[in-house]
Amino acid sequence: MRRLLLLALLLLAACKPKTGEPLDAKVRFVPEHPSVGKAEICIEVDPDLELAKIEVVGDMTHAGMIPVEAEAHPAGPGLWRVEDFDFNMRGDWVITITAYDKSGKKYQKEVRLTVP
Amino acid sequence: MKLLDLLRFKPLERFVRWRYSRFVMQVPLLLVALLALYDGFFGRQLAPKNFATVSVWLHYRGFLVLAIAVLGNLFCAACPMMLVRGPTRWAKRFLPQFAWPRALRNKYFVIGLTLLYLFAYEYWDLWESPWLTAWLILGYFVVAFVVDALFPEGTFCKYVCPLGNFNFTLSTVSPTQITARDPKVCLSCEGHYCVNGRVETPEGRKTLKEAPDAEGLRFPGCETKLYVPQIDSNMDCTLCMNCVRACPYDNVAWKLRAPLIEAAWARYKTDVVWLGVLLFFAGFMNALAMVPPYYQIAERLSALLGTRNEAVLLSTIYLLWTGLGLFLTVGVAALADRISGVKEPPAKAVRFWGAGFFPLAFAMWAGHYTFHFLTGWATIIPVTQQALNNLGIYVGEPDWTLAALVPENWLYPLQVIILYIGLLAASYVLFRRARARNSFAAGAVVFLYFFLLVALALWVLAQPMEMRGTLLLPQ
Ligand code: SF4
Ligand code: SF4
Repeated sequence: MRRLLLLALLLLAACKPKTGEPLDAKVRFVPEHPSVGKAEICIEVDPDLELAKIEVVGDMTHAGMIPVEAEAHPAGPGLWRVEDFDFNMRGDWVITITAYDKSGKKYQKEVRLTVP
Repeated sequence: MKLLDLLRFKPLERFVRWRYSRFVMQVPLLLVALLALYDGFFGRQLAPKNFATVSVWLHYRGFLVLAIAVLGNLFCAACPMMLVRGPTRWAKRFLPQFAWPRALRNKYFVIGLTLLYLFAYEYWDLWESPWLTAWLILGYFVVAFVVDALFPEGTFCKYVCPLGNFNFTLSTVSPTQITARDPKVCLSCEGHYCVNGRVETPEGRKTLKEAPDAEGLRFPGCETKLYVPQIDSNMDCTLCMNCVRACPYDNVAWKLRAPLIEAAWARYKTDVVWLGVLLFFAGFMNALAMVPPYYQIAERLSALLGTRNEAVLLSTIYLLWTGLGLFLTVGVAALADRISGVKEPPAKAVRFWGAGFFPLAFAMWAGHYTFHFLTGWATIIPVTQQALNNLGIYVGEPDWTLAALVPENWLYPLQVIILYIGLLAASYVLFRRARARNSFAAGAVVFLYFFLLVALALWVLAQPMEMRGTLLLPQ
């Protein structure tokens, strides 16, 4: 029994976990390669997708780092923007964009970048 | 001077004597390991938001140095990996048994494993991967099981486990130690049960060594083969308290001691001192690998060697740095010997003067871990909530903005204080050793070397952090 459990665990572990519903979006940074300090994040989504809200969270890849959170504002059809996103440390960042449509359905996209 | 014996505190003594006391301490850490495995394998693959990475790379390491500084090697005492003991006892019935090779009965093998582990830590960026962290935990359990099933009990802790040996090394500066209450009682002790184990059979008391299969109440002895009246160091002591339970004369004390008494007086074997020296330089490297100068060195080395292969660059940097550290240490120790007029081989000189590295190694790791622990200690709350929620045990919505334990601008001064204390402690050790040789000039030379190393470490810790997985930026 113990062996079976271990085998099941190994098999399950062989595939990395997946994230939720994917968000089809183009993400740009201004400047294109941000350095430590403030930067703008532009998120382009399909204008037909009626979104109510977009949250942007920046995490560093080391445990223990407090995330940087921001809310994007609509800036035209299908365009959302965070003006002053604070890249407060050098290193690898994971930007998680979570969008909610009017019915409350959640979409997510992850972008990785290195702040030199 | 009569020092306080913690086991004179009755509730503690009763707990320690209870045969399930270690098990009770291991269960919480086993649950933590299981949750880390679950979240590492199945949770979100983002280090600051996963229980595996936060618990292992932040809290485990942070609490470990804290426990060692305040009391002793409590993490070995509560090590959940030793829960493989039940299954391995069963497996031993079917598996062939081997003696641990004589050539490996020292710390050199574990020094090699520690170097490999540190290389893997940087090369695969274990700190940023919950998935790999979970594999590391699982791998650790598997190796502990295999070694414990094929070799005598205690082999894994003493000769294989890099984590345990890290704890042993740092606990050389702990304020407690196992010792005999009255060494005279040990002189007339017929079985030396603390190391040989005890079994109370209907025919009388025997040692587990002479009667391993005897029926009766059994009390295993010290698995790492420490003989209580001769213990003068915490090296290899897992604080399992087997000796306390095995001694029929209630003659084992867990005494408070001056934290530096061991490093100042103990006569270490050469391999043990090398482990301490290596841990200092490895701790330095671990901190250096998170600041911009490290990446600049890597870029230059890459241009010099004409390669962008991370494995090559990383091993070159590691080997150069630790090699340089070991070389300089031998040189400085030999010089100190020369000044004090002692003629002995360089390895013996390192054995004598290198003991000063123990408090320094402690300070180096404590300084680095303090930074990570204090910046993100509260993140354990949301990651635990998230992992439990995913398991179907709802414990509220995680709040990811939970802040650090101390203001950010306290962190560097705190690291400076820790390293200064380490340097001060190391200089006390050198002073005692220099006095024993009647040559303060010799001690001053080693002190100067330590001073420069600490100054370099402080410079590294003063650099802005750069938490990057790739050694070289894309071209
Ligand atoms: S500590 Fe106890 S068991 Fe060990 S030698 Fe002394 S009296 Fe005997
Ligand atoms: S049995 Fe050995 S390892 Fe355990 S506490 Fe006693 S001396 Fe330390």
